[in-house]
Amino acid sequence: MAAPLTLLLLVAVTVRAALYRSSLADLISERVEVVSPLTAWKRVVEGLALLDLGVSPYSGDVFHETPLIIYLFHFLVDYAEITFMLADVITAVALYLSVKDYNKQVFRKQKYALEADRYPLDCLELIRSPKEMQYIPLKVAMFYLLNPFTILSCVAKSTCGLNNAVIALFVLSTIKGNVLLSAIFLSLATYQSIYPLTLCAAALLYLLQRQYIPVNLRRFSFWWFVAQYAFMYLGSLFVIVGLSFFLLGSWDFLPSVYGFILSVPDLTPNIGLFWYFFAEMFEHFRLFFLCVFQINVFFYTVPLSIKLKEHPVFLIFMQLAVISIFKSYPTVGDIALYMAFLPVWSHLHRFLRNIFLVSCVLLACSALFPVLWHLWIYAGSANSNFYYAITLLFNVAQILLVSDYFYAFLRREHHLSHGLYLKRKDGSEATLVLK
Amino acid sequence: MQLQLFVIILFLFSPLVPQENAGQFFSSGHTNNWAVLVCTSRFWFNYRHVANTLSVYRSVKRLGIPDSHIVLMLADDMACNHRNPKPATVFSHKNMELNVYGDDVEVDYRGYEVTVENFLRVLTGRLPPSTPRSKRLLSDDRSNILIYLTGHGGNGFLKFQDSEEISNVELADAFEQMWQKRRYNELLFIIDTCQGASMYERFYSPNLMALASSQVGEDSLSHQPDLAIGVHLMDRYTFYLLEFLEDIHPSSKANMNDLFKVCPKSQCVSTPGHRTDLFLRDPGSALITDFFGSVRKVEITMETINLTEPIQQVEQNFVNEERQKETYSYVDQLPVSEIIHQKPKQKDWHPPDGFILGLWTLILLVFFKTYGMKHLKHIF
Repeated sequence: MAAPLTLLLLVAVTVRAALYRSSLADLISERVEVVSPLTAWKRVVEGLALLDLGVSPYSGDVFHETPLIIYLFHFLVDYAEITFMLADVITAVALYLSVKDYNKQVFRKQKYALEADRYPLDCLELIRSPKEMQYIPLKVAMFYLLNPFTILSCVAKSTCGLNNAVIALFVLSTIKGNVLLSAIFLSLATYQSIYPLTLCAAALLYLLQRQYIPVNLRRFSFWWFVAQYAFMYLGSLFVIVGLSFFLLGSWDFLPSVYGFILSVPDLTPNIGLFWYFFAEMFEHFRLFFLCVFQINVFFYTVPLSIKLKEHPVFLIFMQLAVISIFKSYPTVGDIALYMAFLPVWSHLHRFLRNIFLVSCVLLACSALFPVLWHLWIYAGSANSNFYYAITLLFNVAQILLVSDYFYAFLRREHHLSHGLYLKRKDGSEATLVLK
Repeated sequence: MQLQLFVIILFLFSPLVPQENAGQFFSSGHTNNWAVLVCTSRFWFNYRHVANTLSVYRSVKRLGIPDSHIVLMLADDMACNHRNPKPATVFSHKNMELNVYGDDVEVDYRGYEVTVENFLRVLTGRLPPSTPRSKRLLSDDRSNILIYLTGHGGNGFLKFQDSEEISNVELADAFEQMWQKRRYNELLFIIDTCQGASMYERFYSPNLMALASSQVGEDSLSHQPDLAIGVHLMDRYTFYLLEFLEDIHPSSKANMNDLFKVCPKSQCVSTPGHRTDLFLRDPGSALITDFFGSVRKVEITMETINLTEPIQQVEQNFVNEERQKETYSYVDQLPVSEIIHQKPKQKDWHPPDGFILGLWTLILLVFFKTYGMKHLKHIF
């Protein structure tokens, strides 16, 4: 597998390097779909310049990234392109390794279940074989590296690429079973943007499963493990925040980074749902709707983790999707990360119902984004409603995609336990509905 | 001999007279006069309103207010109306032969420009920048303004040109705006319409005095019609007002109390009303010429004033042929050259050493924890 992977990496790096050298790089780095006020490269440069002038980089609502990014780019600002390409490569390799390991586990579990005769006889066609699973890690890496969204995000030098790298490393360390590294990478990801906090539950579930600790609220071992993980996670988070304080000598990064993410003061249009709502909202209700929108991101953790407690990796996928759709400043880079996981669930294709519609809508919306932006901003013949309509449609398509996969996954599990051809009590054919 | 005595007495008393006159000159507190004369009607059968306004215009001009200080708003469709048997004339009722129209009548707002909006804009001064001076009321806080309105009115409103109306509340608010913007010192408001007293009921700004031709519920009536022209030429109140004003000349001492007695019920049929509660001075001390005339501020002085001596030429000293050359040089003010060529030292920001140390220690610790301590022996 190393050779195709290396080839893929080379291709990806070449494409990115070619785009860097072309004139499209400047064009792409200004597109609002690709960069947001949090992740824009020119804001990083601005922050570094402010720091060189002796002013705090967080003064004046320019720079909203974390101080560790300042540290990283203080030395690497001349090699920024290589840094981002390297981040993409790290992400792809991490995803590759994690999916390979996950596939091994899936196959092993399946083997045990077959030996224990737990599958009904007619759902043997749902069983996965190593042959079909052989190319999945490569496909995952390919999906990530050659996704136009990722390429755009990399060429724009959006720090979303670094965030994706950290999350991918978190996924890798979780799947490999390393509790400390998982906690550390998760705290790094949370430190950069608050939303990966919701991945805590998924990581916990996976690690508990791996260590054969049953998820029983009354057992001491469960709570002991949760306490360990929480201690490592919170401890590393505090250490990192403390280090950031020591880097710049002041706490003003807290309101600039976390206050900015949570209170959404900047209403630049992006592909998310926040900007339009908050642009037209009365001041009186702003806090209320802010709380509603932010809770919406975190809210799905509990029900999803209850439903998917035996399938934590799928839970990670769902959580990443929910974060990418509902976060306050989403960009296409976030979407690319969860889309990279889609080949892992390619065996669900026979249960997916809306895939044609979703893919058409996603393609159409991706094409319409720059068109309507141009019409709104430059031609003046459209207005923000047009752009927001496409944003809405794009997000609806994503939600439909995610819920479709959710349905397919649960349906497959149901079939695996109840047989492929479901019958009602009177013997006629039954249909399965996701309620 | 008697003449000489008289002259001596005059000289004795003469120092007193200018003082007295000087005192009276400065008693009212205003330095300029303005007049806003508005006729709010149009059409031939409202001839008398135009004649009213033009007659007041004539009197006010005669008493000294120049055209530049009069804003005259007329429909101006009488003189050249095709129903006018005597074209280019507007007769007032004075002897039925006084033509109050002519070359020297400067109408500022004519025809359809006489609207409520324009009237209020003139009063409050909120006109577009392109408005010429003749259409502006450029009063200040030392101006006494005379405002004369005539036309058709009702209880609380005045009709403008048969299409809109101004209410007494709007008028009162306009005057309050004028007061707040210091656009008048004292203001005399005369209205000759039916139920005219209702128009000054709502005033609440200081230094306003108001006169009206009739009370609420009464109609102001017109004077006799002219059979040759076919319409009534004037209204009663304005007719008697003008008769009163004919006796006023620029140095007249007649005061407002006399004006209130103009046109009693026997002559006017309606009861004229007036309002002085907002006027801060005693009406008896306010002269007619304070509003109808124009003040020329004249300072009388008996002193002689020395003008400055003419400028003398500076004599050039040609003491020595060799003049001492004083070398001039600029005083050193700022060390400019030093400032210009000095760039601030670019201090690059470096992360603190403690930070770097702490960060890399942590990274190493995590690395070794993950991969075991066995790698340590490769390093040391």
